[in-house]
Amino acid sequence: MNINITLNGESVELPATSSNSLLDVLRQAGYTGAKRGCDTGDCGFCTVVVDGKPIKSCIRPAVSVDGATVETIEGLGTQDDLHPIQAAFVDNAALQCGFCIPGMIMRTKGLLDENPDPDEAEIRAGLSGNICRCTGYEKIFDAVEDASKRLDETSMATDGGKQRSDTEPCVRCDCGESYE
Amino acid sequence: MSRHNHQDSQSESVDTTEPADRSESPSSLYDAVASREEKADARKIVTGESKYTADYAENFPHLAEAEVLRSEISHGVVTEIDTSRAEEMDGVYAVLTPDSAVVPDKLYTSAGQSYPEPSPRDLRVLRKHVRYVGDPIAAVAADDRATARAAVRQIDVTYDEREAVFDTEAAIAEDAPQLHDASEVENIQPGADYDRNVVANMSGEIGDVEKAFEQASSRSDWNIVETSWETPRQSHCIPEPHTTIAHRDEDDRYQLLTSTQVPYHVRRQLAQLFDIPIRDIRVTKPRIGAGFGGKQSMVIEPIALALTIASDRPVKLEATRKEEFHAMRFRRPAQVQLRSVVTDQGDLKAIDMSTLTNAGAYGPHSMTATSAIGKKPLPLYTNTPNIRYEAKAVYTNLPVSGAFRGYGAPQGHFAVEGHIDEVAREIDMDPIEFRAQNQIAEGDTDVASWLFKDKDGGRDIYSCGLEECIQRGKEAIGWDDVEQPDEEYRHRDCGMATAIQGSGIPGDELGAAHIKMNEDGSFILQTGAVDIGTGSDTIMAQIAAEVLGASPDDVIVYSSDTDISPFDYGAYASSTTYVTGQAVQQAAEDARGQMFEFAAEILDEPADSLTARDGAVHAESSGKSVTLEEIGQASIYGDKHRAQVMGEASFSTDESPPPFGAQFVDVTVDERTGEFEIHDLVFAVDCGLAINPDLAEGQVTGAMHMSYELAVSCDLPFDADGQPEVTGFRDYAVPRTADQPPLTPILIETHEPTGPFGAKSIAEIPTNAVPPALSNAIRRAVGVRISDLPITPEKIATELDSD
Repeated sequence: MNINITLNGESVELPATSSNSLLDVLRQAGYTGAKRGCDTGDCGFCTVVVDGKPIKSCIRPAVSVDGATVETIEGLGTQDDLHPIQAAFVDNAALQCGFCIPGMIMRTKGLLDENPDPDEAEIRAGLSGNICRCTGYEKIFDAVEDASKRLDETSMATDGGKQRSDTEPCVRCDCGESYE
Repeated sequence: MSRHNHQDSQSESVDTTEPADRSESPSSLYDAVASREEKADARKIVTGESKYTADYAENFPHLAEAEVLRSEISHGVVTEIDTSRAEEMDGVYAVLTPDSAVVPDKLYTSAGQSYPEPSPRDLRVLRKHVRYVGDPIAAVAADDRATARAAVRQIDVTYDEREAVFDTEAAIAEDAPQLHDASEVENIQPGADYDRNVVANMSGEIGDVEKAFEQASSRSDWNIVETSWETPRQSHCIPEPHTTIAHRDEDDRYQLLTSTQVPYHVRRQLAQLFDIPIRDIRVTKPRIGAGFGGKQSMVIEPIALALTIASDRPVKLEATRKEEFHAMRFRRPAQVQLRSVVTDQGDLKAIDMSTLTNAGAYGPHSMTATSAIGKKPLPLYTNTPNIRYEAKAVYTNLPVSGAFRGYGAPQGHFAVEGHIDEVAREIDMDPIEFRAQNQIAEGDTDVASWLFKDKDGGRDIYSCGLEECIQRGKEAIGWDDVEQPDEEYRHRDCGMATAIQGSGIPGDELGAAHIKMNEDGSFILQTGAVDIGTGSDTIMAQIAAEVLGASPDDVIVYSSDTDISPFDYGAYASSTTYVTGQAVQQAAEDARGQMFEFAAEILDEPADSLTARDGAVHAESSGKSVTLEEIGQASIYGDKHRAQVMGEASFSTDESPPPFGAQFVDVTVDERTGEFEIHDLVFAVDCGLAINPDLAEGQVTGAMHMSYELAVSCDLPFDADGQPEVTGFRDYAVPRTADQPPLTPILIETHEPTGPFGAKSIAEIPTNAVPPALSNAIRRAVGVRISDLPITPEKIATELDSD
């Protein structure tokens, strides 16, 4: 069978079996940014954003996302034009082997979309479903804090300095849900 | 032998023989090193374009996927394997058992050490005599992973089960079941006793330890302190599971794309095992999802190669997380006994240490890592006149202990640095003052690291920032101004431990490098150095750029391809910056000499008056200069003589200068429950000059994360039958963002005269000292000593209750 999803802004049709996870389907289609670390939803290396919410794609049945909007690391920024979160990870040296980083960045995107200005405790809680074995997390905390500032500046620049409005339509619909 | 005591050495300088520009060398003099350069692979990592072994699957259209059948019992002999149903399945290309013709019937070691390996050859690729739950028995290659898994489930295995033994003390008992027959093991290690399951047993002594204890028993001003310590098995939790894609290429050679720390050792070990000439095997590594020692061991490559030969297809074998947790490699559990003689004045007279480790079912790294448990930390107290160490490793029916970041030093530091605190306490001396009085310092000769050598001598210490590490760490943690919580049942205090490691294995390393200049003035640097995530490719580019006067961006690093890269022993033992870094430095100097010849001609200046910096070669006297791009052009397209600028060098050394560190912990303990809260973990480290401080700090915090896990949450239990109780991340407490205390790295800059631009090593030392520092902090806070890891509230509460 096939599933139809909006993947990084484009409508695509991808082959999937009933036992495939979303991670299987993405990787088979060449979207290898999301990594396979455990297949049990415990490490977070496979994190992608589905309908605005970061999820662990290794335990999400592919058929269940039919019709959904899926964002992966491949859709974020390019090496020449990094997304502010990616730029913050680079500039804060918040990476080593890099295997967890695509998932960590998509988790961060979900966190900052929901809470643009998290304090350290909120960052720690927000990232706790994603393991990093190399960095000791410290530089990742710095990067997320920095990304939050950069995104704030970006939105200030693009909307002429207006503050974010509480009445803006929410496109994420994951309010209140845990990041686990 | 020459020794200096601590006080004397402060006024001495050992750098006087060094050229002036190196003995001074503040980091501000450099352009490309001592600089927070962006990690070379950072942008491809954050965009998801960085490719790891499994990501290359799409490059192999006829790729088969593999799965391994592993022993379900902890000890026994396979009497029958029925593979007929698996072989009949659609989409199955190969089913291998120990009897298959392509499976080598040879003994080998998975160690991934230099040659000849200091490990017994006691493993076979697939095994009939199974010795732990997880031993590989059969393997399948099929269309896809689901089919391979289904086929593995169709294989019937009949076992003749044998009695198993899991405990080290029980394993050396006379009536214990014997795991290996000595006649079926090659390269048997010193002190081995296969009748008693002993893999290796070594000892060494400086001075006369027994005599010191005899003297102590008759002198009232000499004291004896005895302690014992225990550490658990720890999982590397490598992010990227072990993965290999093997294939036969159009030249009838075997290529392995594999997640390894040691491409050249893998090539050699496979060649020996399969009787394939070295030249017919090519091992490459793409980006590696970290190693931590776990990928020093060659654990899946032989199975992938056998399946590729049998199926004549490319084969991908990717370990599952469950396999990572029970069938790969681990930090070896250790029991350590220590006793010391100390005078009332705080002089250590003798240290007597012995260690028993649990090797698990096979012996790789047993002799060397068990030796390291004493040989790594004891040099901190090398000025003690009488030192003895005995190391013994024992087989049991549990998963195999291997190499793990720190390599015995974390177990050893827990014991030695906990013990030293008890020694100081015995004579009512401040633990920091006690260390200052007894520890190693610049100008000393470390004889303790030579304990097991059969010749006299030692390691001269040319740089040691230990005292400053302690001072800066003390300030950062607030050692002198701890405020007690309001509740009288909560007690806050700090603890500390010092640390030491090496920079490569002395006399047992080789790094080599080749660098060539392009016509645009950029460079291609080839090394065998294996960047497993640490950023060593970036470090090598910085070192080359510093010599060549180029920007690190203009040095493209291509590493770890056994067909193309110069030789390298691999990424282990904190060796890469120190050993391969010097090969790179010398290769770049070689290339720079050639650049200067072209520049001398172009500028009409003598070559010996030239310097390279800021992308150009300058004649200091005349102020004339020529850009690297102009030199590159002239070398390749010039009118006079044409010759590509190509530098090369090999480097090996008997030196292994130790980095030093001091770990501090600030903890509050609830005396009612034993619950504790760690407020801060600070590690101050002297790694010589930090080539890239960002990367060095990342090594410190990442290693402290692992050391914290070893201290408080690391446990891999097995049931009474040896079945693993941890099979996934949810059973194993990796510190996560929400529960890990803040980690503070402090880099203390020293200059190591034997190192590249003054660098030593950084990768392992910070894994060593959270357990002793925390145990020492709890001892100070509430008066109880926790001497077996992990340190838990339950253990503290039990000790408090028994007080």
